[in-house]
Amino acid sequence: MKDITKMETDIKKLENLARLVRRDIVTMIHLAGDGHPGPSLSVADIVTALYFDIMNIDPSRSQWGDRDRLILSKGHACPAVYAALSRKGYFSSEVFPTLRHLDSILQGHPDVNKTPGIDATAGSLGNGISIGLGMALAARIQGKAYWTYVVTGDGELNEGVIWEALMAASHHKIGNLIVLVDNNEYQSGGSIRTISGILPLRPKVESFGWHCQEVDGHNIAEILHAVRAAQAASDKPSIIICHTVKGKGVPYMEGNNAWHKRAPTREEYEEAMMVLGGAA
Amino acid sequence: MTVKQENTRVAFRDTLMELAAGDERIVLVCADSALVVKAGAFQEKYPDRFIDVGIAEQNAVCVAAGLASCGLIPFFATYSGFITMRACEQIRTFVAYPGLNVKFIGANGGMAAGEREGVTHQFFEDIGIVRSIPGISVVVPADASQVKGAVKAAAGESGPCYIRIGSGRDPVVNEGGQVPFNFGKVRVLKDDGNDVAIFVMGFVTNRALEAADILKKEGINAVVVDVHTLKPLDVEAIAAILQKTRAAVTVEDHNIIGGLGSAIAEASTEVMPVHLARIGLCDVYPESGLPDPLLDKYHIGVVDIVNAAKKVIVKKTV
Repeated sequence: MKDITKMETDIKKLENLARLVRRDIVTMIHLAGDGHPGPSLSVADIVTALYFDIMNIDPSRSQWGDRDRLILSKGHACPAVYAALSRKGYFSSEVFPTLRHLDSILQGHPDVNKTPGIDATAGSLGNGISIGLGMALAARIQGKAYWTYVVTGDGELNEGVIWEALMAASHHKIGNLIVLVDNNEYQSGGSIRTISGILPLRPKVESFGWHCQEVDGHNIAEILHAVRAAQAASDKPSIIICHTVKGKGVPYMEGNNAWHKRAPTREEYEEAMMVLGGAA
Repeated sequence: MTVKQENTRVAFRDTLMELAAGDERIVLVCADSALVVKAGAFQEKYPDRFIDVGIAEQNAVCVAAGLASCGLIPFFATYSGFITMRACEQIRTFVAYPGLNVKFIGANGGMAAGEREGVTHQFFEDIGIVRSIPGISVVVPADASQVKGAVKAAAGESGPCYIRIGSGRDPVVNEGGQVPFNFGKVRVLKDDGNDVAIFVMGFVTNRALEAADILKKEGINAVVVDVHTLKPLDVEAIAAILQKTRAAVTVEDHNIIGGLGSAIAEASTEVMPVHLARIGLCDVYPESGLPDPLLDKYHIGVVDIVNAAKKVIVKKTV
């Protein structure tokens, strides 16, 4: 009973962190005047669950060899990761307004050369699972116990290299690789239903030999539970399809693809802050 | 004339096995290319360090990036065009930009190496493509013995590197076994004098040497320079040679755009302008055929080199 209470408390803490991450995302993009709020907000709960509960990392040793790795393959959602890294202590939130500006450590897409805590440059879509597969294979070769997590979008699953990676990972029985799909149902140009033919996703992935689960990508308890189940499926790579809403948490952005890439005005920013817990 | 041959692919494999014996970080990544690079022996001896991802070069490059980011030294070996064209973006963004320690081994480098397969397997743009990507070194060994030196040198240098290897029927130019491989430095193969410099890369070096012999018989003294490292280019040594000869010919089994001819022209124009002729594939597509007739038909013949040398020498006197 006590454990259940503690779990509930932990989930509440994580939910609160996800709210703060969302505030950071909107603030960062507003102050910088550029960025992708919709896909950053849809992935916020996934990123929060990974960085604040699941991953074994140490902000004081960002290059620690035994750390868990995370690749944000849908790199345009990097404000979510920057917010999480900052709150973990990798760097100060004072750099948020420099996002996408000259001389900033916060590039427009995740950049391993510039940002402490980033494990791989990413964002040219489709490549994250392959890089993660390399990291997972490296763990096997070196006898290390770390996990590699890759967060993809659903639109980017159009890329052929995704399926190359899915094929190779199951063939090599890579059990230490977990992919979470931020399945927000939109890509840059519109709905995944009208553009890409990626659906139905689950049978495709399962036919490639992956352990597959579907969760509500805004329910942190469900995400955590699915990751634990994925870790237990040790002879297969694992994919968790996280059903999400683009722009989640800011009502006027939710499901509105105009917010794929757009900076909120002052008024829009203030409105977002009010719904995310109070004035900035 | 029968030219002695030695297999550059086997040279790569043997050298990699030698390196792997002393360094547990060495990993071989293939894209169903184990047969291409004769990797069976490596696979047998080091099964845990051999990764075949299937015919999926983009995946292979990213897998190599992931391996390297965790401290391993992956060599990804397959046909040169499938590395440099199919997976060009992955090389640039995920290996070269982060400066990861991945080595690319491009087989069938050049038109003649692809020979009977036809245009789909003849790769004469690889050097131009890789040379234009920041942060990756580019090496084109002259023969099998130099492949050994190049692979060792690449393993010893931290950071990404592209090395061309050939068809397996590659002319020997360095008789008498292993020659010193000095990464980033040109090597004078033959120094008859200062009438003209012949800069050459790769598996047509035998043709440049033969041309120099013919020129000498006609009273023209050439210096033949092996430019095995295209990047970083040994500009200082090249300028010193150009200063003496004031005329140069470049010889390569590559498009004349982007490869050795371009590299020498760029360096010469900036530091020591001279009359220059580029011998190589003249921005056209070749065809199936045996290597030597193919090179001759597409104007990379010994006679083409001789004539080009004579022309640039005439130009410097007017």
